[in-house]
Amino acid sequence: MIRFIHLADVHLGAVPDRGCPWSSEREEEIWETFRRVIASISKNPVELLFIAGDLFHRQPLLRELKEVNYLFSTIPDTCVFLMAGNHDYMKQDSFYRTFQWEPNVVFYQNETPLTVKAAGMDVYVTGLSYHHQEITEPLYDSLKPVQEEGFHVLLAHGGDELHVPMDWKALAASGFDYVALGHIHKPQTVLRDRIIYPGALEPIDRNDMGEHGYVEGRFEDGRVKTRFVPFACRSYQKLMLTLREDSTQYSLEEMMKMDLMKRGGRNIYKVILQGYRAPETLIFPEKLKNLGNVTEILDETRPAYDLEALRKRYSGTLVGDYIGYFLDKECTLVEEKALYYGLQALLETGLPTGKA
Amino acid sequence: MIIKRLTIKNFGKIHDKTMELSPGINVLYGENESGKTTVHTFLKSMLYGIRRQRGRAAKTDAYSMYEPWENPAVYGGTLWFENGGKSFRLTRNFYKADQKNELICEDDGELLDVEKGDLDAILGGVSEVVYENTVSVAQLKSVTGQNLVRELQNYMASYQGTGDSSVDLGRAMQMLKMNRKGFQVQAQKLKKETEQEKEKIAVSMDYVRKEMDRLTEQQEEVYAQEESLQMTREDDGEELLNDRIEQVQRSLQTNVLMMAATVAAVLGVIIVLGGLLPDMIYPRILAGILGVCLLAWEFLERRRLGEELERRYRIKNRWMQKQEKLRWNRESIQESWKEKETALQNLETDYREVQERAYLPLAEEVEIDALNLAMETIERLSGNIHNHVGERLRLRTSQILSEITGGRYREVLMDAGFHMTVNTQERTVPLGNLSRGTMEQIYFALRMAAGELLCGRERFPVILDDVFGMYDEERLAAVLKWLEKEQRQVIISTCHKREMEILEKEGIPYRQLPL
Repeated sequence: MIRFIHLADVHLGAVPDRGCPWSSEREEEIWETFRRVIASISKNPVELLFIAGDLFHRQPLLRELKEVNYLFSTIPDTCVFLMAGNHDYMKQDSFYRTFQWEPNVVFYQNETPLTVKAAGMDVYVTGLSYHHQEITEPLYDSLKPVQEEGFHVLLAHGGDELHVPMDWKALAASGFDYVALGHIHKPQTVLRDRIIYPGALEPIDRNDMGEHGYVEGRFEDGRVKTRFVPFACRSYQKLMLTLREDSTQYSLEEMMKMDLMKRGGRNIYKVILQGYRAPETLIFPEKLKNLGNVTEILDETRPAYDLEALRKRYSGTLVGDYIGYFLDKECTLVEEKALYYGLQALLETGLPTGKA
Repeated sequence: MIIKRLTIKNFGKIHDKTMELSPGINVLYGENESGKTTVHTFLKSMLYGIRRQRGRAAKTDAYSMYEPWENPAVYGGTLWFENGGKSFRLTRNFYKADQKNELICEDDGELLDVEKGDLDAILGGVSEVVYENTVSVAQLKSVTGQNLVRELQNYMASYQGTGDSSVDLGRAMQMLKMNRKGFQVQAQKLKKETEQEKEKIAVSMDYVRKEMDRLTEQQEEVYAQEESLQMTREDDGEELLNDRIEQVQRSLQTNVLMMAATVAAVLGVIIVLGGLLPDMIYPRILAGILGVCLLAWEFLERRRLGEELERRYRIKNRWMQKQEKLRWNRESIQESWKEKETALQNLETDYREVQERAYLPLAEEVEIDALNLAMETIERLSGNIHNHVGERLRLRTSQILSEITGGRYREVLMDAGFHMTVNTQERTVPLGNLSRGTMEQIYFALRMAAGELLCGRERFPVILDDVFGMYDEERLAAVLKWLEKEQRQVIISTCHKREMEILEKEGIPYRQLPL
């Protein structure tokens, strides 16, 4: 049995959510989580570690390579397969080009595929490194494993139009036992136990919603079994808050506090307000930012107007015309917002009519 | 539309009351609190239903205000009216648990469906708000002159632009602008934050650049030192030092030879002298002494040279160490310079990314767009209404005013800033200079004109709710005569007997509705 860990898109050195209070903390956490992975391997060694590109967010500095190399030296029994992705691609004077790695590390120097046999094991890993930020040729589609008995792995980065497009059918039929992918930050399985994006180890910015971690697998009797291991120390989540007609700023804040308690205060949230609020209730979404880690707030609530009834009631006047103008067509988002803004302004600033 | 009869079964404080209305002038006379407003609300509720609010507002809505105290399950009545030449009977029960609406065309007995909008069809274009704006006319609310002027101007402006005297376009636009301002401030703040982020990165870049400059300077220094050690020129310093060492080594070798030569020479001289002058011992001794002296001198010279050689070796070693150190310095400077260069390139990429992100539209900008669209649409639609109501309303108001003032005031004017003036035969008078009575007349003329223009083809009754309080007898008589001339159904609701007295005095037929 051969055990392996497959991770990708660590983006060491990234500064997530610039300008947010947690930004520098996150920068450190990305490093820390990578160190934790290595520490856990050191405690419970696996045979193979695949790092499928973008280990660094930018061009690695020499001291960063030294730090990573030191970490690899703490897991001498694990063979590490490492490639440069589109973010840390090998520039002309990249430190990658001259760096001396520990003996247990295989770093792919070339942009053409190369198959490397792991020391002392029947494991053949094919891979390459990005020398450019963009590669539009499908470098992986026609690859075949070498004719040897053993565990055949393809270490690959990309999969979209500008970063080595991939033909999943071709890869599925290629004969590799496992395709360790990187580049897409959201964990996803292209083909069960065969072709997998583990996603970013830690979420890199507010767009990397949901759980993050790595893939752990084993190769036994010619078959691969994998499972996803959540490992990131926090996550970005969507928080939907639904307002009702009797909601107030206070009740909204209480609702959010409860949800944050349930879901964890360390996580980082994108708050979306939904539902219908009483037209006269004032909501200040900006104030919610003080309650937790909030990247942005989308206010999609609508004043609880019965548009058809109002249109009928106000028919023949400006308000009636105004509602009619928007209701008689397919509204875009901006138009729908305009309808409610204008209507509210017309109705709320109106002179009292005196009669009910 | 003519209202023929109404039966109030149970509505507010009124029970089982039937009123027959004349198609001309009706006077609903009663003391304060006798139920005149209840009759008005009943009429409106019959035509448009009674308004019920949800939530907190329900406690003060019309439904609760007029809910009968006794027997609330019977809550409503019947209305007989004529419209478009047909007679209808409308019966309603507003009770929320048992709502019933029955609309029958009495001419052919056809049962119509209120829920499906048959009543709305009969009422034509007159919606509830139009009804409120035209059919029922209350007194001007303001008491003081300045407010009165503003109220009247507002009415005129709103009718012209919105067809609804309760809409205040100016304030609505103001609210939208305030709203927009809020989002603009927010967007500005975010943009500024991005700027600050860029600034921060730029500062880091500056810092790294300075470091690189400093390293370059150090490098120059090292070069200069190397130069001074003649490490860079062709006649290499090391060679030079080696030469110097060799010189001394050569001198040492020469010294050894010289010493050997001296010994050989002295021995030779002594032997030769021994052969030539065997009896004379002194010359030999002299030569021996001379030889020893020479040897001693050479020996001293040898020691001196040995020391010199040692010294030169030391110098060479020192020089070599220094050179080694400089080379090591130079290499480490180059390495950190390259590290800084990579860091600088990374920062440049960061900077570009932040800059690119700044071009993405902000959520606030969507709101600003929506608010702009709202304002544009309101302006355009209000312009439309103004086009087909505004000028006609002004002309008709002027005409009615002229008729009820016996030609004293001929024309109402309104400038772009919504300031109203009135033309007499001789001059233009600002609204503020007119008496309260005249302003009430202008208001009356405006409401009547609006009723005609906004209600469309079918003429609706006019309900005048205590509007003649500020009229003197002459004015009142003129207005009542005008109403008779117009042949409209009018319900004058009043707590004074004055209207009836003048109607009788002027011989104008009317019907008193009992309360």
